[in-house]
Amino acid sequence: MGSSMAENHPVGFQWVVEARERGTKVLHVDPRFSRTSAMADMWVPLRAGSDIVFLGALIHYVLENEKDFREYVVNYTNASILVRDDFRDTEDLDGLFSGWNEDAKMYKTDSWAYKGSPLKDVTNSGKTGGHAKDRGGEKLQENIYEQDLTLQNPRCIYQVLKRHFARYTPELVERTCGVPQDVFLKLARTFCSASGPDKTAAICYAVGWTQHSDGVQIIRAASILQLLLGNIGRPGGGILALRGHASIQGSTDIPTLYDILPGYMPMPLFAEDADNLAAYFNHHKTKTGWWNNFDKYFVSLMKAYYGDAAAKENDFGFTFLPRVTGDHSHQGYWIQMADGNVEGLFVMGQNPAVGGPHSRMERKAMAKLKWLVVRDMVEVETASFWLDSPEVGRGELNPEEIDTEVFLFPAAGHTEKGGCFTNTQRLNQFHEKAVDPPGDARSETWFIYHLGRRLKERARKDQRPRNAGLNALTWDYSTEGANAEPVVEEVLQEINGRTLKDGKLVAGFRDLKADGSTSCGCWIYSGIFPKPDENVARKREPRDFYGHGWGFAWPADRRILYNRASARPDGRPWSERKKLIWWDENKKEWTGFDVPDFTVNKSPDYRPPENAEGDDALGGDKPFIMNAEGLSRLYVPSGLKDGPLPTHYEPLESPIRNPVYPAQQVDPGANRLERPDNQYANSPDERFPYVATTYRLTEHHTAGGMSRYLSHLCELQPEFFCEISPELAKQVGVEHRGWVTIVTARGIVEARAMVTSRMPPIHLNGQTVHQVGLPYHWGYKGLVKGDSANDLLALSEEPNVRIMESKALLCNVFPGRRERGPRALKQLENAMRQPTRRRMVAQ
Amino acid sequence: MSISPERETRELRLQQIRREAELRATSISKLPSDSHMDARPSNGHGALQDFEPAASASPQTGYYGMPLLKTPAWTWEVPIYFFVGGAAGASAMLASVGKLTGADQRMIRDARWVAAIGAALSPPLLIADLGFPKRFLNMLRVFKVQSPMSVGSWTLVSFSSAAAASAVLSELERRRVLPRIPVLTDVAEIGAALTGLVLATYTGVLVGATAIPVWNAKVSLIPIHFATSGLSTAVSVLELRGHASSALNKIGIGATVVETAIGASLEFGKEPATEPLHHGPTGWTMRVAGLLSGPVPLALRLLSLTSPPRSPRSVKLRKAAAISSIAGSLITRWAWVYAGRASSKDPKVPLQLPGPARPDAEQIPQDK
Amino acid sequence: MSVTAFLTDSTLCIGCKACEVACKEWNQVPADGFDFRALSYDNTGSLGHSTWRHVKFVENGAVPGFGGNASEVFSWGFSSDVCKHCANAGCLEACPTGAIVRTEFGGVYIQPDVCNGCGYCVVCCPFGVVERRPEDGRAFKCTFCYDRQKEGLEPACATACPTESIKFGEIEHLRDTARERVRDLEEKGFDDVNLYDPTDTSVGGIHAFFIVRGDPKTYNLPPKPEVPTTYLKKGWMSAGIAAAAMVAGAFLAFTGSSDR
Ligand SMILES: Nc1nc2c(c(=O)[nH]1)N[C@H]1C(S)=C(S)[C@@H](COP(=O)(O)OP(=O)(O)OC[C@H]3O[C@@H](n4cnc5c(=O)[nH]c(N)nc54)[C@H](O)[C@@H]3O)O[C@H]1N2
Ligand SMILES: Nc1nc2c(c(=O)[nH]1)N[C@H]1C(S)=C(S)[C@@H](COP(=O)(O)OP(=O)(O)OC[C@H]3O[C@@H](n4cnc5c(=O)[nH]c(N)nc54)[C@H](O)[C@@H]3O)O[C@H]1N2
Ligand code: SF4
Ligand code: SF4
Ligand code: SF4
Ligand code: SF4
Ligand code: SF4
Ligand SMILES: [Mo]
Repeated sequence: MGSSMAENHPVGFQWVVEARERGTKVLHVDPRFSRTSAMADMWVPLRAGSDIVFLGALIHYVLENEKDFREYVVNYTNASILVRDDFRDTEDLDGLFSGWNEDAKMYKTDSWAYKGSPLKDVTNSGKTGGHAKDRGGEKLQENIYEQDLTLQNPRCIYQVLKRHFARYTPELVERTCGVPQDVFLKLARTFCSASGPDKTAAICYAVGWTQHSDGVQIIRAASILQLLLGNIGRPGGGILALRGHASIQGSTDIPTLYDILPGYMPMPLFAEDADNLAAYFNHHKTKTGWWNNFDKYFVSLMKAYYGDAAAKENDFGFTFLPRVTGDHSHQGYWIQMADGNVEGLFVMGQNPAVGGPHSRMERKAMAKLKWLVVRDMVEVETASFWLDSPEVGRGELNPEEIDTEVFLFPAAGHTEKGGCFTNTQRLNQFHEKAVDPPGDARSETWFIYHLGRRLKERARKDQRPRNAGLNALTWDYSTEGANAEPVVEEVLQEINGRTLKDGKLVAGFRDLKADGSTSCGCWIYSGIFPKPDENVARKREPRDFYGHGWGFAWPADRRILYNRASARPDGRPWSERKKLIWWDENKKEWTGFDVPDFTVNKSPDYRPPENAEGDDALGGDKPFIMNAEGLSRLYVPSGLKDGPLPTHYEPLESPIRNPVYPAQQVDPGANRLERPDNQYANSPDERFPYVATTYRLTEHHTAGGMSRYLSHLCELQPEFFCEISPELAKQVGVEHRGWVTIVTARGIVEARAMVTSRMPPIHLNGQTVHQVGLPYHWGYKGLVKGDSANDLLALSEEPNVRIMESKALLCNVFPGRRERGPRALKQLENAMRQPTRRRMVAQ
Repeated sequence: MSISPERETRELRLQQIRREAELRATSISKLPSDSHMDARPSNGHGALQDFEPAASASPQTGYYGMPLLKTPAWTWEVPIYFFVGGAAGASAMLASVGKLTGADQRMIRDARWVAAIGAALSPPLLIADLGFPKRFLNMLRVFKVQSPMSVGSWTLVSFSSAAAASAVLSELERRRVLPRIPVLTDVAEIGAALTGLVLATYTGVLVGATAIPVWNAKVSLIPIHFATSGLSTAVSVLELRGHASSALNKIGIGATVVETAIGASLEFGKEPATEPLHHGPTGWTMRVAGLLSGPVPLALRLLSLTSPPRSPRSVKLRKAAAISSIAGSLITRWAWVYAGRASSKDPKVPLQLPGPARPDAEQIPQDK
Repeated sequence: MSVTAFLTDSTLCIGCKACEVACKEWNQVPADGFDFRALSYDNTGSLGHSTWRHVKFVENGAVPGFGGNASEVFSWGFSSDVCKHCANAGCLEACPTGAIVRTEFGGVYIQPDVCNGCGYCVVCCPFGVVERRPEDGRAFKCTFCYDRQKEGLEPACATACPTESIKFGEIEHLRDTARERVRDLEEKGFDDVNLYDPTDTSVGGIHAFFIVRGDPKTYNLPPKPEVPTTYLKKGWMSAGIAAAAMVAGAFLAFTGSSDR
């Protein structure tokens, strides 16, 4: 669900095909019939943006029919834990959980805690995103709780869940998703049959789920379902986030995100995290569970950053780190940019003029910068927005009046430089340079290293406190070749970590210390380069079915996370067929096909002594070692901003009112960033009667910089098109291959019509909802050009991770091409004003 | 630091790709902004460019009604070559038979020259149609009986030399520049006649023995059709040169009778494969060709018999018949070649589908 | 040297077009036009001078007998087409220059340094595969990656195919595999799978067989392809009759007329 794996991860999809050949049932739930659906045993179309209802109904189905894998659920999840007495569910509060503060537009999450968990005294402004380990989870000591192993107590999570999902019936699915009840039930039966000791099922998702105003909660719903069915930590199970760009996984591990530090440690907040390392640790280091090691990883990171300048006396350079002062997400800073508050921008390997949400606004915002640096392999739209963007043609921007100085740097492509990729299964693979980059093209490492070097040179002459971090930073990589390229292996070794006394590489994160005697650039990668001549990421000799011996899967070359759950509480495998790791009674250790995600000699019957800390505080039957209680969370007592349980809210623009909680139309925490240049349609809105959703084509890549400049790809999908059903085509008055104009409250684009039953209308209770499918790959440069679908999107933020909503919006469709030049704006204005099609033509 | 040659080629190739991309990108991006949608580069070539696909792929329509076969690459040179070669080959035969039977010397001489001129024109036409003309001689790399094109190439080469030799030698003899060398002239003469016969007929085999339905459905007819129309042309050319013997008229009458019969059989013998012969522009072309080569000249020739031979009226009527035949013959080749093109675009026959042809499948495509 | 072949199994094809692109990349074949043909997701149309692998897309409702697997609601079939490397190859037989040869791997290969662009192979291919490239003048089609096979490599298209929809191997073995696969699929309840390998026609079998769902005609695979050499006999017979008749007619006319 929420992924078109065959189209966007075709190489990975070979394993799905292989599994299907061996009898696995493949189910695809997606608004449109895609190449993935074609390979599935069952395809179920649903209305874009209604996934939580669908998943909620699956959860309901499991609970109602007691299809859950009870032994797993009781032992490995928090089903038995009681919630606080003052917790109120959305059922009680018309779509809100307890703790909502209408003025601050956010939850006070105390009441969501486990019954009995003491609260730490820390505040959380909710300013940051939620990519880090449990932002806010620091408030609780979740190892202390009350429990009812019979799951009968009405306040136990199992019962809370039952009540919460009671509304999510097949009937609601039919009414909200447009999926007939019998179809839903057939899918539910099939999916839930793959559960139990001998069976597992996996859920694959990608941005069809994430890019919603309640994206995180959709994935939470999937987690609940998988946990109830016992499908986590076991072979063939899991919820697999199919990551995007090559190494996009790597770019969250060693983040390009503003709110985290390498290894999912939170970026300190201005004010709240103060200048005090102890306070910061107090927030984030848990007493029990693996995050008890937080200080070790953090101090080692500081030592990697700042070397000798990070000492115990100065809190290991804690103050050198920048602070999060507000919303620095993509949407956040683009709003700032639009308001003229940003001076300069580096764009490296990104093309926001096409791929950014509300790209029209983003292009205009760039004209307010003083300088813009673009590093790319081709001249992408972002680098030439000032010259040939539609806004120039429409008279909204005038090249002569734009003061932005644009620097376009040629970048080396991945074959032209050595380095690492971390792909979707957390597998890091090292690759060699195949050819030299042409001309002045240079690698990212080269650019960053030499930029850093020059900045440091300048900072050295300017010893103001603001430069302390820069001055303290270690920046001493060796370089090689005529272009002085930094040696990437050295970077990888720094990431692996060393003991500082002797400079030896550490074998893994268990060797890291909090006293400043070790350094490590990213604790989860520790072990990737354990010896000077052993780059594990470069290994290409797979030994077994799980691929050990090929590359390095973090952490510790573990292929399946939480794999302790693949064995029964007593340590025996759940079944012969599904065995992965197990307790070897003779050797007194965990053994099996994978690297155990567990302390190797901690026996299944180990019970922690009173006041034990860290990993020692978790029993031998607690697989989810990253959580303080060692259990996985059906219900999330802390860490999320929009509720401990997933709840269906409508997309920010929807053709219907929320059928589940009429009083609460959208996710209460979602940030609409509404303003004159970022308007929304009403829900519903007769000016914009159709649902639009965006996606990718196999033949192109994202914003097109890597595909629209290659003739062999361009010829395969030469034009921007929109997929509409024959019914809608008839209604609009357009034929296959004809032109249509699509408008939203933000933008106007034209596209060729691809009329196909693959994009069926959805029927909800007698109301027909037409959906319009838009691949978003086109722009105004390249060998093939076309309007950018993203001109139609809004800049919006999901509450936890602040992603935009690109998968469900409202639009209108008119026959014929859009107007040229300024008249297009007029046409857009008219569409905003008038609900009828006839008066659409400009003037 | 030395770079291995292998790596150097790779890098050169990469640079090449980049340059190509760059050139293409810049040539397109020079267009004014906001009109970029009109600047879509379109297919410069490819057989399907002018093709409007059908709505669906199904056992009834085939793959979106897309052509299953490739359209013959041959352009105007080829029908003209068929025409010229056919006339030349038949002329050589007439010269030979005429000589054997003691026909008019002037007529024989002219027939030789018609053959020789045709022989001289044919190779350039054929070469002009080659995609890679420089390699014309590769035709003579091998001889393949199973390839009419190969047989034809060898035939053309032999015919051209024989016909030229025959014409030149006999001319030189006549002007007494050379002494009479009977063996040589006769061999040339007979050679030209024999190869001429092949030349006038092989083209029919050439088109008939292909995958194009309308051609291979009529493989038994086309050689006869081409031969007859070549013969008509040869006779007609001689008549236009002023030869008015009744023998020629007889041959002409015989040929036009056959043409009429062929025309009738084409008109009334309908089968799915021959649809382009009945419908659309190709159908009309074939009909016009048939009329001009069959009934019209036949009637004129029969009419000419009502006046004494060599009388002005008779000569006039025969000249009119000759012109009609020549035009008909030329159009015949055209019609066959373009019927083949239309046929290649209709997947119905190779897929054995019932139903009417796609209406647009018969259009004569424009050569570029 | 063993004779090799392709088995393209459209029940495994995900329509990713990697084969199409890999072929172009390896063989440095140019793009041939940015046309929005929109035959479903196919904008290529057919095999040709610059498309040696071509992925076909067939959309259909819940009609049994069409590709795709979720065909209860809708179906979408993909099938990657290629030169059939016929046992009796029309193009090879027709080529007057001997440019087209059969390689030691049983493939049909055009030697680009010999072809003179006569275009005869184009009309002699019963599958409409080979075509003259206008800018170049020569005829082109799939080489069966002769260069790669010589080096012991698999063809580029087969290597690129993520799902092993394109299988490459020794022909007899692959034929068995194909038959087994069809049986296997039938057992799994695919009651509409067909193996396309016209051995019973004058083409005498092909070296690139296809497993498709539904009628092969949907994918423009002709039910009865004939190698054009089968028409030769009739053609030459007709030519002979014509020649003889011409000569006889001329004789009669010349001898039978006083006015010659
Ligand atoms: N060929 C190719 N591969 C790629 C990329 C590419 O551009 N081209 N991009 C890469 C990147 S960066 C990423 S992030 C991944 C993304 O991979 P995917 O997430 O698979 O990409 P999308 O095609 O954007 O969306 C997936 C599916 O979500 C469906 N969808 C839309 N709205 C909804 C909804 O509300 N509910 C549900 N259940 N489904 C919905 C769409 O119809 C689509 O089929 O792909 C990566 N792989
Ligand atoms: N409507 C809609 N919008 C979306 C999405 C959606 O599903 N729907 N998906 C979103 C998602 S998931 C993503 S990931 C974004 C993608 O959006 P972007 O990241 O903006 O798009 P790309 O085209 O992938 O940009 C990457 C650029 O990096 C360049 N590049 C490649 N390799 C290198 C290199 O080594 N160095 C440098 N410097 N440059 C390099 C490429 O040429 C390319 O121009 O789009 C987002 N936008
Ligand atoms: S493009 Fe690369 S990353 Fe994407 S599927 Fe293909 S091989 Fe994998
Ligand atoms: S399919 Fe056509 S091109 Fe290929 S071998 Fe057969 S006749 Fe030749
Ligand atoms: S075009 Fe080339 S390959 Fe084809 S028949 Fe002629 S010479 Fe042979
Ligand atoms: S065998 Fe080689 S030439 Fe033929 S289609 Fe495959 S990649 Fe192209
Ligand atoms: S590469 Fe394989 S899966 Fe992809 S389109 Fe070609 S045959 Fe199908
Ligand atoms: Mo992505």
